[in-house]
Amino acid sequence: MSIQFTFQPRVPVFDANVRVGDLHYQPSPCRSRDQLLSEMDRHGVEKALIYHAQTEEVSPFDGNGFLEAWLDDSRLFPQWSIMPTPDSLAQVQALHEQGRVHSVRLHNARSVGLPFRPWSCGAMLTWLSDNRIPLWIPLPDADADELAMTLSAFPELVTVLVGAHYSHALWVRPLMTTLPNSYLELSRIEPLGEVEALCGEYGAERFVYGSWYDRLAMGTMLYYLHHTDISESELELICAGNLLRILQGEGRHD
Amino acid sequence: MIEEQRVIDFHGHTGRLDSYNGVDDPALILRAMDRVGIDVSCVFNIFHPDGTTGNDITAQFVAKHPDRFVGFAYVSPMMPEGMVAELTRAIDELGLVAIKLYPPYTQWDLNEPIWHPIYEFANARGLAIIFHTGTDPHSHPGLLADCAARFPNANFVSGHAGNVAEPRAAAIKAAQDYPNIFLETCSTFRTPGVIEQLVNEAGADRVLFGSDIALMDSRPQLGKIITADISDEAKRLVCGGNAARLLGI
Repeated sequence: MSIQFTFQPRVPVFDANVRVGDLHYQPSPCRSRDQLLSEMDRHGVEKALIYHAQTEEVSPFDGNGFLEAWLDDSRLFPQWSIMPTPDSLAQVQALHEQGRVHSVRLHNARSVGLPFRPWSCGAMLTWLSDNRIPLWIPLPDADADELAMTLSAFPELVTVLVGAHYSHALWVRPLMTTLPNSYLELSRIEPLGEVEALCGEYGAERFVYGSWYDRLAMGTMLYYLHHTDISESELELICAGNLLRILQGEGRHD
Repeated sequence: MIEEQRVIDFHGHTGRLDSYNGVDDPALILRAMDRVGIDVSCVFNIFHPDGTTGNDITAQFVAKHPDRFVGFAYVSPMMPEGMVAELTRAIDELGLVAIKLYPPYTQWDLNEPIWHPIYEFANARGLAIIFHTGTDPHSHPGLLADCAARFPNANFVSGHAGNVAEPRAAAIKAAQDYPNIFLETCSTFRTPGVIEQLVNEAGADRVLFGSDIALMDSRPQLGKIITADISDEAKRLVCGGNAARLLGI
């Protein structure tokens, strides 16, 4: 394979982690749906699972409302944010009744002192597990012990652990071993040789590609994944296949 | 090589950082380099304030693959009495070709006089010095302007190009003001548009690709250059043309 200054992916790409809209302290470089689609086109990305920036630190309830304006039936699919409060749960349940919930993303309540424990999140996790709705969990906001202990109590719940950084390097393997129905999203996996090593240890079926645009540049990790020693079939799974299966409610490995 | 352009990674480490799974395994590093066409990686060791211990480790690392790695010397003003002697040994005897400094480990801003013997050494020999730069006050890249003005024959490289928005803007301003200031690209932040900003505002001839191996894999860090919205000619300069000129290799 010749190496060039231009890059386009060889396999279909469904990005599992794209943020849209402005943070309260930082305007997004991407101002519109058309601009997002243009950026996806530039990097050869067919589809993306998107959530709204306002859900991160302001309001998952309002942010879910702002997300509606970004959706596109063929390329941009919603990921609703959720937190363990009655309003949030009721909002997502209403969307679910409309057949519009295929994944949710955990809003960080640890920042205000609410840990991720069965006593605080149990009702929410039970509902998600019973309805086979996968839960995305951003690792930068998480506590490893809470994840391992709490999610072990909900063994059928499929989770996607998002944004593992080199500062989480010692978390990744114990969590993936303890939580067989977890996936690892790869937007920030940068330790040396880690993609090949993790695929060898756990199988490519446990990983999904996400860019975490617009927090991070869109094409970087896609380029990386296309320059590893994993096979083409493994690349296809990571870049789209696994995510499609998860969103169809077929993500369980056990 | 990428399209006949030699690719040089300007920022790499020897030594292990086990808490981050940073392992300086030459086989792993070379595998990553080979998969994306990186010809040469520059490496240094910043974990020993005497300089000597780390520079010996770097020289031994380079000696195993002298066609693929070049070494930079490290010294620290925490042990100021030996700095120039160790630089002389590292460059003249060990064959290291440039200098790495890490101000956050110290109590001094990078433009304070205690660092000046290092800059005088580099100035006399026309060497490049790469600094960690970022939000830490000792390593703010705006301070490089003062150094570049005082030591015009040395070249000052802002590692991580300041890493985040405010110090990055200061790094760009310093590079605009002084021809002997360069900006290096490795960063775990990977903010959209940064490579484009560095090239468009400081000039493609002032930007150097770096990866931070073995803390980070070199492939995604090269990927952010390749996938940036800049010209192929700019990519050639950033990926290797500028580093070859700066290091004389």
